[in-house]
Amino acid sequence: MTPFELAEPKTLKEAVALLDADDPTIRPIAGGTALMLMMKAGVFRPSKLVSLSAIKDMSSIETVNGELKVGATTPLAVLERSDVVRKHAGVIIKTLRTLSNIRVRNVATVGGALAHADPHMDLPPVLIALGARVVVQGKSGERAIPVADLFAGYFETVLVKDELISSLIVPAQNGRRAAYLKCTTRAVHDWPALGVAVSVAADGNAIKDASIVVSAATEKPGRLVGAEKAAQGTVDDAGWRRAGEAAAEEAELITDGQGSAAYKKELVRVYVARALRAALGAQ
Amino acid sequence: MATRTIGSGQVGRSVPRLEGAAKVTGRADYVHNIRLPKMLVGKIFRSTVAHGRIKSLNVSAAKALPGVYRVVTIDDIKTVIPNPFYGPAFHDQPILADGKVHFVGEPVAVVLATDPHIAEEAASLIEVDYEELPAVFDEVEAMTSKAVVHDELKPAGTFPDLKHLKGKKDTNIALDFHLRRGDPNKAFAAADHVFEHTFRSQQVLHVPLEPFVSAAELTETGLTIHTASQSPSFVRIEISRLLGWPENKVRVKVPYLGGGFGAKLYIKLEALVAALTLLVRRPVKISLTMEEQFYTLTKHAATFRIKSAVKNGKITGRDCEVWWNGGAYADIGPRITQKSGFTAPGPYDIDNVSIDSYSLYTNLTPAGALRGFGIPQLVWAYESHTDMMARALRLDPIEFRRNNILRDGRAQATGTQMKDAAVEQVLDRLALRMNWTAPFERGTGPVKKGRGIAVGFKASISPTTSIAIVNVAADGSVTLYCSTVDMGQGSDTANAQFVAEVLNVPAESVKVVHPDTDVTPYDMATLGSRSLYHMGNAVRLAAEDAKAKLSALAREVGVPEGSNVPVAELFQKKYKMQAGNIIGTGSYIPNYVPPDANGLTPEATPFWMVGGTGAEVEVDTETGHVRVTKMISVADVGRPVNPRIVETQLSGAATMQFGFTMQEKIELDGGQITNASFADYKIPSIVDIPRDMQNEAVESEQGTGPFGAKGVGESGTFGVSPAIANAIEDACGVRLTELPLTAEKVYRALREAQGRPLED
Repeated sequence: MTPFELAEPKTLKEAVALLDADDPTIRPIAGGTALMLMMKAGVFRPSKLVSLSAIKDMSSIETVNGELKVGATTPLAVLERSDVVRKHAGVIIKTLRTLSNIRVRNVATVGGALAHADPHMDLPPVLIALGARVVVQGKSGERAIPVADLFAGYFETVLVKDELISSLIVPAQNGRRAAYLKCTTRAVHDWPALGVAVSVAADGNAIKDASIVVSAATEKPGRLVGAEKAAQGTVDDAGWRRAGEAAAEEAELITDGQGSAAYKKELVRVYVARALRAALGAQ
Repeated sequence: MATRTIGSGQVGRSVPRLEGAAKVTGRADYVHNIRLPKMLVGKIFRSTVAHGRIKSLNVSAAKALPGVYRVVTIDDIKTVIPNPFYGPAFHDQPILADGKVHFVGEPVAVVLATDPHIAEEAASLIEVDYEELPAVFDEVEAMTSKAVVHDELKPAGTFPDLKHLKGKKDTNIALDFHLRRGDPNKAFAAADHVFEHTFRSQQVLHVPLEPFVSAAELTETGLTIHTASQSPSFVRIEISRLLGWPENKVRVKVPYLGGGFGAKLYIKLEALVAALTLLVRRPVKISLTMEEQFYTLTKHAATFRIKSAVKNGKITGRDCEVWWNGGAYADIGPRITQKSGFTAPGPYDIDNVSIDSYSLYTNLTPAGALRGFGIPQLVWAYESHTDMMARALRLDPIEFRRNNILRDGRAQATGTQMKDAAVEQVLDRLALRMNWTAPFERGTGPVKKGRGIAVGFKASISPTTSIAIVNVAADGSVTLYCSTVDMGQGSDTANAQFVAEVLNVPAESVKVVHPDTDVTPYDMATLGSRSLYHMGNAVRLAAEDAKAKLSALAREVGVPEGSNVPVAELFQKKYKMQAGNIIGTGSYIPNYVPPDANGLTPEATPFWMVGGTGAEVEVDTETGHVRVTKMISVADVGRPVNPRIVETQLSGAATMQFGFTMQEKIELDGGQITNASFADYKIPSIVDIPRDMQNEAVESEQGTGPFGAKGVGESGTFGVSPAIANAIEDACGVRLTELPLTAEKVYRALREAQGRPLED
């Protein structure tokens, strides 16, 4: 690791001002759980890091107009223990329990977990399924981006290099039920080989509307619209399996150290059906 | 595990580890903590190609970086060590690449600086131009490949069975071991059934949580090396040879190790730090990163073709061909090829046997010993094969084994008679603990349950020597000097128990001096579960020698035989004050007869280790995921010296092999390791290992062992892989023949069995 400058701005505006859209060696750092590994491995050599940890008022969790609002520098472990989050969308808590380990969750932040854009992350698919959006601060002001539109590709977001995520907003779920299933293939605790998040509006076991998101096995997390259509109106295991079939046909899967695309396709088939079953609480 | 003490009550007692408190309070010494005055640290620059000639090496940018003390290449090394090649079997490994590189990650140059970050940065500025050469990675291909790793073979001369390889060219075979007993061809011709299968073990890593680390400093009398090594005596002898110095000018000190598992044997960083220190006349330390462990030593990948003749339920003939992937330098591979190779037919009573075992050079990280010295690779094959035969013959797998098991008094493949090897008891206890004869619940829905067992054995490497010194001070307190390395296995505690048993003092009161070749006597190495037996015998003899001398002292000062006069009073009577010592010495080397032209010998080994595993699994047939719900390890360890440590050695070994069975694999892309980090190379964590793990040492005694004991560090590894594969077939009807047993492999096999293979 070579020397670099560390800036510790006190406000979000100052932080944004310290960034440079054209200089990839200047990056914001929050928990640093991913960035520090990249620096140790020598794949990222910063000239300047802009620490977000001294910024006040960016780590609150509250409900505003029925929506859950989470500050971007909220540590994942704080989110995990929040009653407000539990009441709003319990699936987030359950997901966090499977996310890495407590040492990482104690320092990794909500904003970082999104901005890093590693497809092998657990929160993004869940937040997409819940219809969440991020509020982003740039030099010219604020904009909101649905999490579903945040990811541009493998380790890439639509954020400009001088934009910062300031908060995450999860809309009211209005009785929708959600589940996230993480499938690992190399060890129990591992990056997911496949993540499947679903959120359903249902009457008993009859699905009226489903949001189905896959991640990790794909270049970026994303909804499977065909599978969502196939899930609509299903009431039982046979129907959920049909949704799984549709998902397997639709998802664009990649081969990597965690498995071949052909195998992951089979995992998608099985896990989408299982996730729908889990969301509905059916046996 | 039950306590079975003898005599003084010291052997057989679960003495808490002597070093336990120091370790958990962070006071134990490790080489990583060493800071020497004016010390430089070295960062190794490594090869990026698997096989190539170095056309040019440009270190000028590295040298120019402020803070860099020196950049060293092989040309510099040769000014202090003219012939800089080392190794226990072959003198094939250069201290730094000499004109050629033979694997990705091979050390090419070293940057020295006081600041490790500067050294690292400078190393990244070194440029090399390679002429790439054809490379070979697969052990079977290496037998006949046009790509040849070394231009000429250079056996070290220490082992007689390697002498015929001296100067050989155009070959990758670093040892071919052949054994012929009886008439296998006749047995195959007369058989009711002939079975033939091929199995593969993958390349895996030791990953001690303390990576390799060595430091060297010049002293008034020579050179001192502080190193995390399992073989201080070998390091001293080999460094002396390289420098042309007498042994007594080289001092090797080893504190505790943060794990070794066979990785930290022979020469690793020691020759490099020695040469660097001589070059710059300042202390030099090199500490590898976790990632660099992947470029230092691995376990052998191996392919094993096994063929058996069966007549009336008896195995009458067996033909074994084993190819060991030794990587770019032989390390101890040729010994594994022979010393473990001769057990390839397994613990079965087979009259007609043929073994061909080949040690092969490839363009991969060198391979060496890893907790089992090749045995787990062999058991994986022969116990999978045994189960497949039993299944095909519609015989119960335990009964089939019982019909063929090697019993005491019968000759093993080498012709050496089995003695004190409780193969049958291990099998019996496994069957009992697995509740084998009771009905077994198979599961419902997509999750299927199954169970399997496997049993393996190992011969202790022979002949090897251990020497020990016991020192009784004038107050009666006792100190043991020996070069066994406590790397977490509890050897300090066990050796203290031996001394304590003989001298009738509490084990907790015995001080054990750590390896320091200026102080502690020779020991071959801490490897292959040899220490408890060999060093144990030497320690026992040293303690008995001290005891005899104490008796003589008592007679000399007029104390009657059998009196309970304290030891301190004996010294007082003789020396008129608190003064003097009693020094007891002991040395041990077992009987051994080298194999004849057919690989046969009446004395192949001083003792046999036996280990068996029972596993219960659940297979998710929709995804191929396997969950091992129960794992039972049963072993013959002779008399357990310290039952609690025996238990943790069994469970630790089983856990390690569980990782090699289910998860771990070095992934390669054209000789380049693509998962050289813990993020992608997954060792098992607490959530991976079976919830129900049971460990048992069967009632047994090793007649020639110290107080009936023998080694235990590896026995828990033997049966794990085949027991789980056997359980998977029992659960869902598919057989895997290549490790690790990943979910994708199980799933693909299931689809294959359904006649609709998964298409990529």
